[in-house]
Amino acid sequence: MDNMFKPRIIAFCCNWCSYAGADLAGVSRFQYPPNARIIRVMCSGRVEPRFVFRAFEKGADGVIVTGCHIGDCHYISGNKKAEERMKLVRYLIGILGLEEDRFRLEWISASEGQKFAHVMTAFINKIKELGPNPMFGKIEEGTECQQ
Amino acid sequence: MSTEQEQPRIGVSVCHCGTNIGGFLDVPAVAEYVKTLPYVIYSEHNLYTCADDGLTSIKNAIKEHDLNRIIVASCTPRTHAPLFQYTCESAGLNPYLFEFVNIREQCSWVHMKEKEEATLKAKDLIRMGVARANLLEPQTEKRVDVISKALVIGGGVAGMSASLSLADQGFQIYLIEKEEELGGMVRKYYKLTPSNIDALEFIDNMVNKIKIRENIKIYKSSIVKDVRGYIGNFKVTIEGKSNENLEVGTIILATGAQEFKPNGFYEYGQDERIVTTIELENKMRIKELDGVINVIMIQCVGSREERIPYCSRICCMTAIKNAIYLKKEFDISVNILHNEIRVYGDYYEALYRKAQEIGVHFNKFGENDKPKVLKENGTLNVEIFNEGLGRIEKYPADLIVVSTPMVNISDAESLSKMLKVPLGQDRFFFEAHVKLRPLDFATDGIFLCGAAHAPATIPEVITQGYGAASRAAIPLASGYVQVEAITSHVEEAKCRGCGRCVEVCEYKALELAELENGRRVSRTNEVLCKGCGTCVATCCNGAISMMHYTSEQINAMIDAALSEKVGGGIVG
Amino acid sequence: MHGSALVLGGGVAGIQSSLDLANKGIKVYLVEKEPSIGGVMALLDKTFPTNDCSICILAPKMNECFAHSNIEVMTYSELTSLEGEAPNFQVTILKKARFIDEKKCTGCGDCTQKCPTKVPNKYNMNLDERKAIYLPFPQSVPRIMTIDKELCLKFTKDKCGNCSKVCKAKAIDYEQKDEEIVLQVGAVVVASGFEIYKPIEMFEYGYGKYPNVRTAIEYERLICASGPTEGNLLVEPNGEHPSQIGFIQCVGSRDFRRKNPYCSSVCCMYATKEAMLAREHYEDIEAYIFYTDLRAVGKNFQQYVDRAKKDYDIKYIRARPGQIVENPDTNKLTIWYDDLINPNVQSLEVDMVVLCTALMPSTTANRIGEILGIELDDNGFFRAKDLLGDPVSSTRDGIFIAGYCAGPKDIPESVTQASGASARASEVIAQAGG
Repeated sequence: MDNMFKPRIIAFCCNWCSYAGADLAGVSRFQYPPNARIIRVMCSGRVEPRFVFRAFEKGADGVIVTGCHIGDCHYISGNKKAEERMKLVRYLIGILGLEEDRFRLEWISASEGQKFAHVMTAFINKIKELGPNPMFGKIEEGTECQQ
Repeated sequence: MSTEQEQPRIGVSVCHCGTNIGGFLDVPAVAEYVKTLPYVIYSEHNLYTCADDGLTSIKNAIKEHDLNRIIVASCTPRTHAPLFQYTCESAGLNPYLFEFVNIREQCSWVHMKEKEEATLKAKDLIRMGVARANLLEPQTEKRVDVISKALVIGGGVAGMSASLSLADQGFQIYLIEKEEELGGMVRKYYKLTPSNIDALEFIDNMVNKIKIRENIKIYKSSIVKDVRGYIGNFKVTIEGKSNENLEVGTIILATGAQEFKPNGFYEYGQDERIVTTIELENKMRIKELDGVINVIMIQCVGSREERIPYCSRICCMTAIKNAIYLKKEFDISVNILHNEIRVYGDYYEALYRKAQEIGVHFNKFGENDKPKVLKENGTLNVEIFNEGLGRIEKYPADLIVVSTPMVNISDAESLSKMLKVPLGQDRFFFEAHVKLRPLDFATDGIFLCGAAHAPATIPEVITQGYGAASRAAIPLASGYVQVEAITSHVEEAKCRGCGRCVEVCEYKALELAELENGRRVSRTNEVLCKGCGTCVATCCNGAISMMHYTSEQINAMIDAALSEKVGGGIVG
Repeated sequence: MHGSALVLGGGVAGIQSSLDLANKGIKVYLVEKEPSIGGVMALLDKTFPTNDCSICILAPKMNECFAHSNIEVMTYSELTSLEGEAPNFQVTILKKARFIDEKKCTGCGDCTQKCPTKVPNKYNMNLDERKAIYLPFPQSVPRIMTIDKELCLKFTKDKCGNCSKVCKAKAIDYEQKDEEIVLQVGAVVVASGFEIYKPIEMFEYGYGKYPNVRTAIEYERLICASGPTEGNLLVEPNGEHPSQIGFIQCVGSRDFRRKNPYCSSVCCMYATKEAMLAREHYEDIEAYIFYTDLRAVGKNFQQYVDRAKKDYDIKYIRARPGQIVENPDTNKLTIWYDDLINPNVQSLEVDMVVLCTALMPSTTANRIGEILGIELDDNGFFRAKDLLGDPVSSTRDGIFIAGYCAGPKDIPESVTQASGASARASEVIAQAGG
């Protein structure tokens, strides 16, 4: 494995729990590798499968979706919808020829700054292990979820 | 929605935040880089963008450069977005044309030893922000009327204080108490310092004040069964002697706490001579202390340990108060075994001194060397390594009082879910901001006071009750709340009327409507819509869009994140 | 609601009180004696137990206050009289001349650059200098200059006049006079804050004599990025950063013989925070905290202290040091102490000592008490009407108390009491038909 490989990670964080958890990681100065680019959405339930596919298509080496713990969703059950949907995403990226571990769904609360840092570190390390996105440039434009 | 968008003219302000950002990444280089991005007309960097000069600078830039989008790259939108949005608005720019990029909490503070990488990441994040800003559209906020009534959950000292103040500010209050009587935890106490008033008399005085308020309706032996709606318009179902549906504008959570039962600690539960603080209070009330000559109080039983790591704040003061009553009223000798005496402020420090003066004994054990209770021929002894004397000491006891921490009530979890308010790691309810919003929840319209937040003394709890009453009165007094413009919108031409969005919406904000030509389409009720976007992600036809978080905007951010190799980079 | 209220003091408590009242529709006059609102919180670097940057979280509230259509922020102003009874008080405010036309000044700072007179900078605890025409600190609200009349050459020697020459906005007005403003208010919230004890009389610690002995509030400015050393801790004689720092608790508090008998309530935690900050700035620093009882009683405080011990390796020593002795050649300091856990006299040599000094009632509290006709307690804090049952009411109807002026407390407790006082003040105003 190439030691110089610097994975590019897209992270979707829900506004109420996991984005706040990411903020708390900062406030608490918990350090983690600088590879993730966070996109704030109101709810993990907002994350469309096509966002994930688009990220892989454009060259992301890993995609992580984070939300409130099951039961804590600010919008009652958006995270449950996300969970169902993301199971399918994981399955589909396998069909596309990507390792399923390049995608992850995690629940992180607003008080779990430490967990946010841990999850990011572990995910980035996993992607480093897996190496660069092998499908970069090979996924056909327009691959979308037809549920 | 505007179809013809004017050409974006973006201004970016990058904040040093003193050295909080500037010390860990190269802010001037970031600001310089930003100028190379499409549609960026203006870029600057400030020591503190949030200071008056930073804000003035943004306003001036909007005017001088005719900017129609503003990006601030600084801390977190969770605390600072309103300030910058307000600044944009005061310079004539729609606040929804503002984009926030977080380069402190999510960049400089988490990559403190990687200046180069942190700088690259900040550039990436701002590039993503610019990509989104290009696609932002102005939005208008709606006003929603507020029902000028409030619900207070919990009829202890906190809830009663909150109810009294809200009522006297002129609002109708519903006060729900799950027990048969108002008063909560304080009912279980004997006497209260500093006035030495009987706890029941103290409660009765409060209850009497509540009773004469015509605008407080009390529901005893009742619980909240269901809460729906949002700030200004909560629909609450209560279950009790009668089931009722209430409509209120704001809610105060004042459900209190309970004493941790020290099962498994010493021989509590097996030997009657080992009691908790509240059990002692009761013994004093019913004068059941015959034959007791020596009382030993053991502090921090169950707290400041692995399972309950926190200090329960009030136990030292409660122990000292009780020691003084035992000594003065019952002529009982008291020995308080502690790791350290955590009285604070002026009054309690003086009380500690008074206890010492009248002969209450204080002996210190080690932090990780808790007292042992020994039973010898039926006699109870407590053994500690006395740190003050530097030797093992053994004290006889007729009664051992274990000071255990306050813990949250057992239905905290279900309340947390019902109200959609979080619990912290200590399992107490978790406020919106530890320092500056101690009485608010992140969820609008719901407030917090009393021991449900953390252990606190009676005057502290009363102060919190009044404080929460102030916070909860604000929407009631103004009569309206501004509802955010972030809602879903169905494009009828694309909708095939499958109804999947209607199924997933928890707020019943979507419904199917029949067009004149008989075609069924879905429509959003914007007041009910909370803007989660689950419907958008569910729609297979791409017929639903989320205002301010459109798929196009998110796609643009993804593309921008991965468009250049300046950031995380790829194979090296 | 309608009606009006007076809030005395523009620290975090006064700011919160004002915002709560104003957001209910009540007109608020926020009176602050300094040229900027913000109070002591504006001086702090970080806040415990989250290590949130203090000014970062306060500045938005300061700005919100100033921008609020229902709040009139009156800085550099003092209360001089109160007449009548609740809910019909008549108050007189003395608005001191700052010799600047507030409507014209943009706060650009050109005048400050050209001012030749340097004076000790109060905001930085006199550790550096400012000019005679000045903004107290970078985030000052309002962003309006003030001329220090006692030191400005124009007033002392009728010379200079540089500021007037360079001011493009023509905002300098040497002729400006103090102004008396009479207001009608329904209720009053007193949030006049506190004073920080200067341990000059405690000779045994050598404050003012040994250069490397600092008070905690001085340390707060030194470690702050916007402070006089831009966040660098420097010690004599070489201007290097210290290798060992000792923090001494209860300096001037819990002191029954000489100073204040009460516990200041916040020092254990701010010392823990300050020690953590030292470790964050310089990994190799050793930090020692000398304490008597560690009062980590607030929400998440114990966990914060546990983290300081475990993750930051901060050493807590249970002792009240008796004396500090300086080696005049190296400026190093030897702390002599009687260890309460292993009882014998010991010593520790450090490069820097931080004295965690008591917080005391503001020097203006007595006068405010006299003007308002409200009582003070034995320690000089405003007395609550009923310490158990009504902790936010003063001894006079319609006048409420909030923050440290009503007894020791931390920031969230001050904010809480500020909201509480607002609630009670709103009651008075609502019942008067407001």
